[in-house]
Amino acid sequence: MSHNGEVDNYSVASRAGLSLRGLYQGKMGYAATEADDEEAIAQLVGGVIESAQLVEDDAVQEIYRGDEKYPEIDNYAPALDRVSEADKLKLLLDMEKCALASGDERIKQVDYNMISTSSGSTRIVNTYGLNLSQRDNMAVAYLSVVAKEGDRVATGSGFAFGRDFSALNAEKIAREAVEEALFYLNAAPVPSGTYRVIIDRRCMPDLLSTFSNVFSADAAQKGMSLLAGREGETIAAPCVTLMDDPHRAGGLASSGFDSEGVATQVKAVIENGKLTTLLHNLKTARKAGVKSTGNASRGSYASPVGVSPSNFYFKPGDKTLAELMADMGSGIVITEVSGLHAGANPISGDFSLLAKGYTVENGQKGQPVEQITVAGNFYTMLKNIRAVGSDLEFPGSPVGSPSVDVGEMNIAGK
Amino acid sequence: MLDKRIAQDVIDCALSTGGDFAEIFYEDRLNNGVSMLSGKVESVNSTRLHGAGVRVYLGFQGVYVYTNDTSREGLLACARRAASALRSDARIHGKPLAAFDYVDNNPYAILPSQVKAARKIEKMRAAQAVMADYPEIVQSSVRYNDSEQRVWIANSDGLYTTDTRVYTRMYITAIASNGTENQTGSEGPGALQGFEIFDQRIDPAAYAKKAAERAVTMLHAPVCPAGAMPVCIDNGFGGVIFHEACGHSLEATSVAIGASEFSGKLGQQIAAPCVTALDDGTIPNEWGSENVDDEGTPTTKLVLIENGILKNYMIDRLNSRRMQMPVTGSARRQDYSYAPTSRMRNTYIAAGNDDEAEMIATMGDGLYAKSMGGGSVNPATGEFNFAVQEAYIVKDGKIDHPVRGASLIGRGSELLTRIDRVGKNMQMAQGMCGSLSGSVPTNVGQPMIRVSSITVGGC
Repeated sequence: MSHNGEVDNYSVASRAGLSLRGLYQGKMGYAATEADDEEAIAQLVGGVIESAQLVEDDAVQEIYRGDEKYPEIDNYAPALDRVSEADKLKLLLDMEKCALASGDERIKQVDYNMISTSSGSTRIVNTYGLNLSQRDNMAVAYLSVVAKEGDRVATGSGFAFGRDFSALNAEKIAREAVEEALFYLNAAPVPSGTYRVIIDRRCMPDLLSTFSNVFSADAAQKGMSLLAGREGETIAAPCVTLMDDPHRAGGLASSGFDSEGVATQVKAVIENGKLTTLLHNLKTARKAGVKSTGNASRGSYASPVGVSPSNFYFKPGDKTLAELMADMGSGIVITEVSGLHAGANPISGDFSLLAKGYTVENGQKGQPVEQITVAGNFYTMLKNIRAVGSDLEFPGSPVGSPSVDVGEMNIAGK
Repeated sequence: MLDKRIAQDVIDCALSTGGDFAEIFYEDRLNNGVSMLSGKVESVNSTRLHGAGVRVYLGFQGVYVYTNDTSREGLLACARRAASALRSDARIHGKPLAAFDYVDNNPYAILPSQVKAARKIEKMRAAQAVMADYPEIVQSSVRYNDSEQRVWIANSDGLYTTDTRVYTRMYITAIASNGTENQTGSEGPGALQGFEIFDQRIDPAAYAKKAAERAVTMLHAPVCPAGAMPVCIDNGFGGVIFHEACGHSLEATSVAIGASEFSGKLGQQIAAPCVTALDDGTIPNEWGSENVDDEGTPTTKLVLIENGILKNYMIDRLNSRRMQMPVTGSARRQDYSYAPTSRMRNTYIAAGNDDEAEMIATMGDGLYAKSMGGGSVNPATGEFNFAVQEAYIVKDGKIDHPVRGASLIGRGSELLTRIDRVGKNMQMAQGMCGSLSGSVPTNVGQPMIRVSSITVGGC
């Protein structure tokens, strides 16, 4: 992070953790530690036994023997690990400099900027002789600027990520942030009512990510997803195909094996509107009588095995955002929603979220809009989708999307 | 623990390239958790966090390096790495470290790590049993978490201190369903205290009843109408409105660089005269309390707003340099992997003089937000949003019927000036607050308040 040309927070870390997962009297137990002193061994073994004894899970748990073949995934660029601190700091300061040198005096300051590079490795070793490992690294750059004019204030942000450090372009990131902040400086609410809505490629991933758990067989088996038992049914409009692609080149969640050591696979979760499969780990698959889809995940080395998507996105259609807008005629493009942890209920699918965006009049970009809420239901939205755009993007997360015409939604404004 | 001689060497090493301040934060923490779904124990977890972070300043530049190699060599390597990022000709040495005594404001009787998981599960079953009695509750989730965090902090000003923080909490969620729709109700009571909280201050069954009744009520509620209207926000977790809409914008993190809508407004009227708000880290055993903050500064009771006038910001060490104002014992971090910054502790609107029944009786048509969900804010613009877990339509001063799916949006500065009633029944509730230095335990709180107009988003 920098402020006025000085780096004010530069942070470096090396961190390692060890998790022990084991079957004790047929039940799975867990414990984890970062310390490597004598107490640690007792805590690990004692923790595994205590949890295995108390967990009341009838499902048969297993340690995986391994697959014959694993896909080769390239998640590691050696050159990125060799980028000097000086080059990283230069990019950080360049972003701030470019933003403040925009030539527009309404850009008052950079309120947050950040460069982060990470490099790590994951290894799974078990008593069946499975021994899998994988390296990965990543660089992320982010900038947020504040624009002020009289009493009006707006923020805008830009970012880039990838494994090729030289491709992170300070000027482009700054321009994105500056343009966004200036555009929203004159934003105002629209009158409350029902509007035609497009959710753009930057915003849809946030929504999809919030509700991604409804595709988890674990959630379904626990009664937390309304998709339980609905494989084969039509749950979305025919233009909707939802992909889970762990092999995607450059993907943030690309991996050859999942957290249980199962080989990963590319699949459509929704294909032309039809729910083809839920996402499974070994436990949920056994319970459902199917094969694991290779979606076992652990939030960190210390978390229990759950289920989550890998690179997860709506398969792009063939229309650009401009064409989607032209087809819509008049309505609103939503570019940002906030408050997803509070205003979206992943169980009922209901959401009511603070939103920003712009109006569309005669198929053209109109006025900036803020201080509105957009409300709907995720399940209903899937069915109401009229078209999926061609502009697929992953906004710094493994969940991505093109812009999507979602039909009508309720907007609360003035 | 952090050996004093090692700490002294690490500090000197961190200052070896010209830094003007250095600090080491050393942490050993044991987290235990149990989760139960519809009466079945799903997981029992035990995780030990262990590591240290070294911070060096040169003017307004800060470097933070952390590691979980806490050997003497590991810590010195960490200090050298931090030092290598700064360069000046000045050389100072750390002052001799002196023990620093404080009164333990947050005593605990029973260390949760000494309690068998089976006893924790008994307390969870008490909550679960209540929810199981409601036919429309199809799922119930109970999570139990405790954490014993031991920190040692030493810095080049000669400070050497330690704090032990013992947290115990239960998080209860009821899911009501009619087959096609689900509604949830949640309660998350906790304290900076040991396992004795379940004998002294937290009755899991009572909280489970509240969560279950809320989920069932909301299942039968029609959707909330949208538009601007007067809103009464009830006490307890209702204080999240102040936390989100104003609290974050009073943290030095955004104030110091002029990125807050309240920057430069000390001494000015920023709220209605009926509003007095505090951030207090000294309340014994409260969820957001500490003895010392994560920079080793004793925590304080801070008046943020008095009768509508802005009195104080929450300030950490780096921002105190920028703002040329004293620190307020507000520096916090999730764990050693974050550099600390200014954060809230127990933040609340103080009790006022208004009668709660009168507030609703005289509001005309509007919304009574009985239980709030979470929310978020953009400190630069003050734009906030949050969800209402349990809301009722008020018609002509009378509570009429429940509505679901309501959210409140607006700008913090506008909201503060539109508060026209502050009740007497101040109460606090527990939450986890996320910001630059990670997720930290905070209390929110308020008596019932009334806001003359807020934009309500419905479904």
